[in-house]
Amino acid sequence: MATVFMKWLERRPADYDRGIRLLTLGRLEAMQHLIVEELVEQGMRVLEVGCGTGALTAAMAKAGANVSAIDISPGMLAEASRRIKKEDVEEHVDLQRMDAVMIDELFEPHSFDLIVSSLALSEMSERGRRYLLKSVRKLLTPDGKLAVLDEVRPTSGGSRLLFTLVRAPLQLLTWLLTRTTTHPLTNFEGVLTNSGFDWDLLSTEMAGSLRLYLATPVEQDESDRKPEMFRGRLNGARTLRTVLIDLWASLFRILPPYPQVKPGVYAVGEPGRDSPLLVTGNFELTVRRLVRAIEGELDAWILVVDSGGINVWCAAGGGFLTADKIIGALHISGLSEVLHHHALILPQLCANGVEGWRIREQTGWGVHWGPARAVDIPEYLARGRKKSDAMRWVTFPLRDRLEMTAVTLGFYALLILIPIAIFWRSIFWPTLIAMAALSAFYAVTLPWLPGRDGLAKSLPLALIALVGMLVYSTIWDPASIDVLFARAIGITALSVFIAAELQGMSPLMRGEQANWGWEAVIGGFLGLTYWLVPNLMGWR
Amino acid sequence: MSEGPNLGSLLAEHWHLARKLRSLEIHFAPERCKGLWQCYEVCPVGCWTPDYDVRCVVFRHGERCIACGACVLQCPERAIELR
Ligand code: SF4
Ligand code: SF4
Repeated sequence: MATVFMKWLERRPADYDRGIRLLTLGRLEAMQHLIVEELVEQGMRVLEVGCGTGALTAAMAKAGANVSAIDISPGMLAEASRRIKKEDVEEHVDLQRMDAVMIDELFEPHSFDLIVSSLALSEMSERGRRYLLKSVRKLLTPDGKLAVLDEVRPTSGGSRLLFTLVRAPLQLLTWLLTRTTTHPLTNFEGVLTNSGFDWDLLSTEMAGSLRLYLATPVEQDESDRKPEMFRGRLNGARTLRTVLIDLWASLFRILPPYPQVKPGVYAVGEPGRDSPLLVTGNFELTVRRLVRAIEGELDAWILVVDSGGINVWCAAGGGFLTADKIIGALHISGLSEVLHHHALILPQLCANGVEGWRIREQTGWGVHWGPARAVDIPEYLARGRKKSDAMRWVTFPLRDRLEMTAVTLGFYALLILIPIAIFWRSIFWPTLIAMAALSAFYAVTLPWLPGRDGLAKSLPLALIALVGMLVYSTIWDPASIDVLFARAIGITALSVFIAAELQGMSPLMRGEQANWGWEAVIGGFLGLTYWLVPNLMGWR
Repeated sequence: MSEGPNLGSLLAEHWHLARKLRSLEIHFAPERCKGLWQCYEVCPVGCWTPDYDVRCVVFRHGERCIACGACVLQCPERAIELR
């Protein structure tokens, strides 16, 4: 739920550029340069799929091409538009916001001499890629070409190991600094061949993991098969694997990799042409909760949309689940031709990032906001897609509070306890126990602790914790004044930290993003006191 | 990598953003409202209440607002702003 997580996830264009530069050690730019030098000619019609911040777009336009560029992210497009203005090539560039799988809708057949994609295919689902390649065949002129610049996962054992070893730390660093990550392509060459392309490798960098392909369509009888929409049946059965994954995801939800479900259409029960269609993101936990909520109650189709493996609320807030992604997923699903009805049920909690009216306008499908919690879906449908206020409002019951505490604590415990285990062994167990006890107490008493936000609530929490510490010290573990003082400082610091940080878990409070500044101030003050008072009092 | 992310600037940026988020408030222009109830449908904390007689929503529980932006995004009439 945490808005802090949501905002932390938010990808800004400048961060993205920095992230990619870091991740590819600057080699990407050199390869983009090669595309412009070798492939772009004066007056050429070029389509760029996934233009990002528009560096390649502007360079191709400067080289004399007329470029149509699309991207799914409004933020990236705004940045690209700024760059194109700055480079003064506006006349030669046409920018549009859309999912790459929509190009067959928007552009005329045979209208491009060159179709280019740089680091965009690896952002798509595998199904989306196949669909895109099919559309590319339609859009290219008879001697047109496709240039794909992307990251590729090596296939042979040795280089794969090397790739992982070198890449993992780089990827983590990049993600932490810029929230940018990429998903290298697997077996892309096979996909190219299967989709009817002849291809050449123009250039490789970074031990073969960054590759530039040049592909040309081969003659093929255009038996325009319908997209195979159906991926399989889902059930909510509990296995050792699901229990472990749920546990992992509950404790470390904040850190990638997030357990994911492959995007696509799934069935729950035995749905028919009149069964409802529910949309959700591809975080494995979300999908499983949805399935468990409706299994046995109703038959339904589920359209799993790529949300980067993040829950719908955070994904929508961070720009990972968008109206365009849903439109694209619906488009390649082929469901329009299968279902009798055209009604889409969206999770209410993605409304902070998915414009319902845009989906309605662009697809003609009806958009309905489902209930906030998956468990209410059967009743919502039984009432004819009507919600009661209780289904609409997010609450924060004890069970959720405890769960979210575990999630947040899992993350912070790593952050705090690992350094303590290394540098300050003697207080490891007391800190661990105090953290767990304080968080559990906070989770239980949250609604009754006075204060509008976490920072304000940290005062009563600290007072209660101090009283608890004094009682403990009097009855079980009497200590000298200086030890008592150290305990008091420690417990106060932990209380402030926990109350302020765990605020982010609550869907009912806001403004926690600014807490860290105050925490730093209070922490600094406590640290100073911890150092100063014993010296002044002559305890040391 | 001279213009790589620098910790100081990232923190400053985050702090700025955080302060702004904290102070965001709903501004509602009832004269634009056509009573489509999208805001009411999506607000997770029940700030909006439909007034069926005049086909216009009322921003009744502003104190609950968590500034999630859902109502702003869903209103087809752009009657709601968060600033
Ligand atoms: S979504 Fe906009 S038009 Fe509809 S009820 Fe709310 S404010 Fe009025
Ligand atoms: S911003 Fe979110 S919480 Fe505030 S009124 Fe709109 S929907 Fe409700």
